[in-house]
Amino acid sequence: MAEILNIENINVYYGQIHALKDVSLKVNEGEIVALIGANGAGKTTTLRTISGLLRSKTGSIKLMGNDISHTEAHKLVSMGVAHVPEGRHVFLQMTVQENLEMGAYTNSANLKEGIADVYERFPRLKHRMNQIAGTLSGGEQQMLAMGRALMSKPKLMMLDEPSMGLAPILVQQIFDIVKELNKAGTTILLVEQNAEMALEIADRAYVLETGKIKLSGTGKELAQSDEIKKAYLGG
Amino acid sequence: MTFLSNLINGISLGSVYAIIALGYTMVYGIAKMLNFAHGDVIMVGAYISFCATTYLNLPPVVSVVLAMIVCTVLGVLIEGLAYKPLRKATSLAVLITAIGVSYFLQNVALLIWGSNPKTFSSIIRLGSVSLFDNKLIITTESIVTVLACIVIMIALTMFTKKSKMGKAMRAVSEDKDAAELMGINVNVTISVTFAIGSALAAIAGVLLCSAYPVLQPTTGSMPGIKAFTAAVFGGIGSIPGAMLGGILLGIIEIFSKSYISTQLADAIVFAVLIIVLLVKPTGILGKKITEKV
Repeated sequence: MAEILNIENINVYYGQIHALKDVSLKVNEGEIVALIGANGAGKTTTLRTISGLLRSKTGSIKLMGNDISHTEAHKLVSMGVAHVPEGRHVFLQMTVQENLEMGAYTNSANLKEGIADVYERFPRLKHRMNQIAGTLSGGEQQMLAMGRALMSKPKLMMLDEPSMGLAPILVQQIFDIVKELNKAGTTILLVEQNAEMALEIADRAYVLETGKIKLSGTGKELAQSDEIKKAYLGG
Repeated sequence: MTFLSNLINGISLGSVYAIIALGYTMVYGIAKMLNFAHGDVIMVGAYISFCATTYLNLPPVVSVVLAMIVCTVLGVLIEGLAYKPLRKATSLAVLITAIGVSYFLQNVALLIWGSNPKTFSSIIRLGSVSLFDNKLIITTESIVTVLACIVIMIALTMFTKKSKMGKAMRAVSEDKDAAELMGINVNVTISVTFAIGSALAAIAGVLLCSAYPVLQPTTGSMPGIKAFTAAVFGGIGSIPGAMLGGILLGIIEIFSKSYISTQLADAIVFAVLIIVLLVKPTGILGKKITEKV
């Protein structure tokens, strides 16, 4: 299996706060890798560092063999990385359609086809294509954020807490979509607080605790580990 | 007839404010900063046009194009040298820097062109239109100014609504990080915004000095502040707001001058700003952000 992402020993600071301590992780082509952990463990920081919105003081981040630890954030999209940020961050004052166009900013060739694909995958978005994104429900916004990320035809899609603030039935739907996207060939790095559901769909997973990787293993292994059960699965 | 004539003068002056206000409002929308040097870019534009027509004997239209080019370069330079390093600084630091850039430009102009006011000869030499047995005289400057304002407004609206760069600008103005994650180069987008705003400032400078022909290094500062007022009045960040605010402000100013007092006109203009801010802090067309979580 080819390596899509390989992070070695990154250390990230917010001023004096040491947010990530020697974090290393790997994502192989075709995998769903989950990064779980409590609030403030450094999950979002990890994704933002991969995306180039934050910088690591040490170590390296390699995307398909190329070092991207100093690459500007806006260049990563055309290199095959899409990042669906925590809290969705759709452009609230732009229409659904315009949000999708922004997703294809670096890949205009895929505009028409891409939008058709997204509407096929998320029919609810099609009904609202001319609506301002700020008027969508939380679940619809999450779908839009994911659809927008798909517009660049990413090899690696990073999802930050896609289930946050959604009703259980929507959470299930979002996870189903993640699985479908993965089957269709997109490699997924999934950050989740909902450890149970994340471990269920993940091939492998890492557990972050106060900025350090505490455990790693296959989704099944971790779901059965006593330590994980106690700390994250409520039993 | 005086009423009508005042109204036309007001709309014409307001159109200049509106064109300047567009620069303020676009930069504010994208970079979330008040570029107080914007007014001085107007002055530079007017001087460039003045020099081009007076010393180089270039045709007026060429002088305007030249002024736009110089101001565009100037705007991008100001942004790159003075504001870009402060992207992560507090807004107070940026504001103080902007005021510093404003004084810098005024003093450089003082060094180059001296403190003696120059008489700017209008770039529009077409006489005027007389109506109703010469009771109402409309200068071609007024007509050109209002038309320029309308054309610019429509062009900018189309640009931000339809073009790829315009949409990227809206995306950046709403959420820089998310825009960056879409592959939009935020720094380039901000530079383009400054370029557009400064080119508009050059046009405004030429139109302003065509109507009020005294050109000196401080020429841009008062109209700059009034245009800023207009931008806030109409709702800062909003393109139609800047237009509406500018034109209303121009009308208020001219009416105050002719019906109340010439001395008090400026005070009245700023009093209107204070009242608007008290009653509707987001301005007339200011967006109230609707957010659903």
